[in-house]
Amino acid sequence: MKRKGALLMAFVMGLSLFTGCGDKKEDQTGTNKDTQKSNGVFSGELEKNVTIRVLENDTAISRGYFDELIAAFNEEYKEQGITAVDANMDQYLDLANDGPYGYGPDVLYQANDIIMQYAQGRHIYPLPVETMDCYKQIPENAWSAYQTEADGSTYYCGVPVNVQAPMLYYRSDLLPEDWETAWDQDGNKVPDMVENWNNLYAYSVERHKEDSSKYGYMKSLFDVYFSSGFLFSYGGYVFGDNNTNPDDIGFSKGESEKGAWVLSQLASAMNEECIDDTITTNAYSKLADGTYFATITTPDMYSTFISELVLVYESEGMSKEDAETKAKENLVMTTLPKLPESGDLTEEKPALKDSKSMGGVNGYAVSAYTKAPNASLAFVKFATSYEMQLKRSEMLGVAPARKDAAEQAGGVSALLYENMEKGTIVLMPSIKEVAQIWTPAQTFFTDVAKDAFRPEGKKKYKDTASLKAGLEAVDTQIHDAIFTLK
Amino acid sequence: MRKKHTTGKVADTTLTYIILLAVAFVFFFPCLWLILASFSKSGTIYSFDGFFPQEYSLASFKKLFTDTAMYNYPKWFFNTLFVAAGSCVLGTFLTILTAYTMSRYQFRARKPIMKTTMVLGMFPSFMGMIAVYLLMTQFNLINHLWGLVLIYSAGAPMGYLTQKGFFDTISKAIDEAARIDGATNFQVFRKIHLPLSKPIIVYTALTSFTWPWSDFILPKLLLKEKDLYTVAVGLMSLDETEFARFAAGSVFIAVPIVLLYFCLVKNMVNGMAAGAVKG
Repeated sequence: MKRKGALLMAFVMGLSLFTGCGDKKEDQTGTNKDTQKSNGVFSGELEKNVTIRVLENDTAISRGYFDELIAAFNEEYKEQGITAVDANMDQYLDLANDGPYGYGPDVLYQANDIIMQYAQGRHIYPLPVETMDCYKQIPENAWSAYQTEADGSTYYCGVPVNVQAPMLYYRSDLLPEDWETAWDQDGNKVPDMVENWNNLYAYSVERHKEDSSKYGYMKSLFDVYFSSGFLFSYGGYVFGDNNTNPDDIGFSKGESEKGAWVLSQLASAMNEECIDDTITTNAYSKLADGTYFATITTPDMYSTFISELVLVYESEGMSKEDAETKAKENLVMTTLPKLPESGDLTEEKPALKDSKSMGGVNGYAVSAYTKAPNASLAFVKFATSYEMQLKRSEMLGVAPARKDAAEQAGGVSALLYENMEKGTIVLMPSIKEVAQIWTPAQTFFTDVAKDAFRPEGKKKYKDTASLKAGLEAVDTQIHDAIFTLK
Repeated sequence: MRKKHTTGKVADTTLTYIILLAVAFVFFFPCLWLILASFSKSGTIYSFDGFFPQEYSLASFKKLFTDTAMYNYPKWFFNTLFVAAGSCVLGTFLTILTAYTMSRYQFRARKPIMKTTMVLGMFPSFMGMIAVYLLMTQFNLINHLWGLVLIYSAGAPMGYLTQKGFFDTISKAIDEAARIDGATNFQVFRKIHLPLSKPIIVYTALTSFTWPWSDFILPKLLLKEKDLYTVAVGLMSLDETEFARFAAGSVFIAVPIVLLYFCLVKNMVNGMAAGAVKG
């Protein structure tokens, strides 16, 4: 009896070894058959009396934009019985797992790298973007963030809505009183410390020297999204062939070590909080209470900075209205300062060059699990119209991806659009291998930041040659991570 | 000799108290810090004067219950209460029945069932999460609070061994005496064992309530809509700038557990004392 039992168990265990083994091709063509036929899905004939669930980002919901958007859409399509509602889900959804069981949204708003990861898993539909009125208004490089090739054809899996790239935030009321005479050498009425990194570094050192509890520019340097731009400015890149070739990893290419050197110099004017994400989370309140003079983050955080500053002014006895007015006067958001060609922040009168930064294009996509693809597409068309993009920009302070809306919005939106067109915003790669870049790069940037607080003999990167070697090691680690796992 | 003994005793007591105070401080300090942080006026940890807030107010709690456009804490709270209360009632009922059956009845599969449940209980519950998710999709119980109640309640009898141990201590002679007087099985359970088992029922109810009250993994897996979140999932979904709300929400979630404990602990002690006198 025992022997039979043991034989049965051995058989079951042996059988379980083969669980999960199957023909991969069959799986791909089986479960995702509908996705491949997606071009035929968008017949143009709207599904009647349907409710489409839309996943928006939290800022758009909390600032009231999303309510206005769905109200306007529902009014426009009420005769067809199409209703858009809030998907009421976490903005960081898991479409790959929830979608197939019918628990995902019909339309989703996400960053380009997330959408393209879903595209590779065939969880979203390629869209007939040429039929949309925004098609010609959005620049080619923004579309390229959503582009994918299959069977010799090009498909677009998302529609760009707004451009995300690091912006410099600073408090104009914290400028030195004599800035117009001492910190405006070119006389253009713009403080030098927000025009170039050399002066921002000098001002940071000076401010901290005057009062050890105050700082100039502060940022968590380990953050790859923000720090990699310094490498790109000197010739570095993520992947070759316009971020599509994972064989060619370029963090160490060109003179990117100069960018790393700039970061290490900036770290020396900060405190140890720049090593981890402390500054990322405390920058809102520290800029508001005047501890920091400047920081960088994305434009959609503008309203959070304003809210924090308003709270500080209100606690000083100001009325809410006055506090809001004063906060908007004093908080300035602008494009990144220029970098010295030499990479030396202490150089006087340096030759300057434009700063590049890693950016993203957030956009809408249609889930491959939707039961109303045409109504969902109608929503995407409506939400990316000129009027809605302009309204989004006004209410959320974000930069539209549409040229006409960006021009009309003016200010920072126009500047960001311009930067994207001239290529100083390097869009985050949309290939799945991008998942392997974060940890090695983050470890490198953490070490660069730590070096500023290590004794001279224990520094890991003592000169630009060692920084170059460190970046080459990052490239190797990323390459190994991509191709060992394949 | 006597003096030496007294000195040694004093030293021993002092050392014991020092160790106990140190251990109590280690456990109590994080709770104290969170409670004080939840009353911080500024709402951000970065304005603290050292470890503690500079000024105090109830603003965070007011915001928690009034600013519900993005983070509907009251709704999360009542969702959690529904799941925990439902699981508590159903789970306690099933656990007590299971333990009673295993303790009082002899049947053929009793021993194998006991062994199997003991072995199965050694596996962490999250091992079966994928299977649970797939099952719940088939029963259409994703995004339903009842789905959670059913899973918690169904899993509760797996921990019946403590309760069985309690029933084992009640003499079988009482059952036999009752049966001679003509009591049915149900009457023996209801009129004899239940009154004697108050402490273990209270203990079971408390544990059946606290598990779903603080669980994160299962609600995160099964609840996709924000309005259905429990407090644990909701607090984890807060934005990084919402520390004040997080602290206030974490403190307030302890209130029902504390109330429940103070209400029920009397029954536990009384039940034990009653048993002791009778014994």
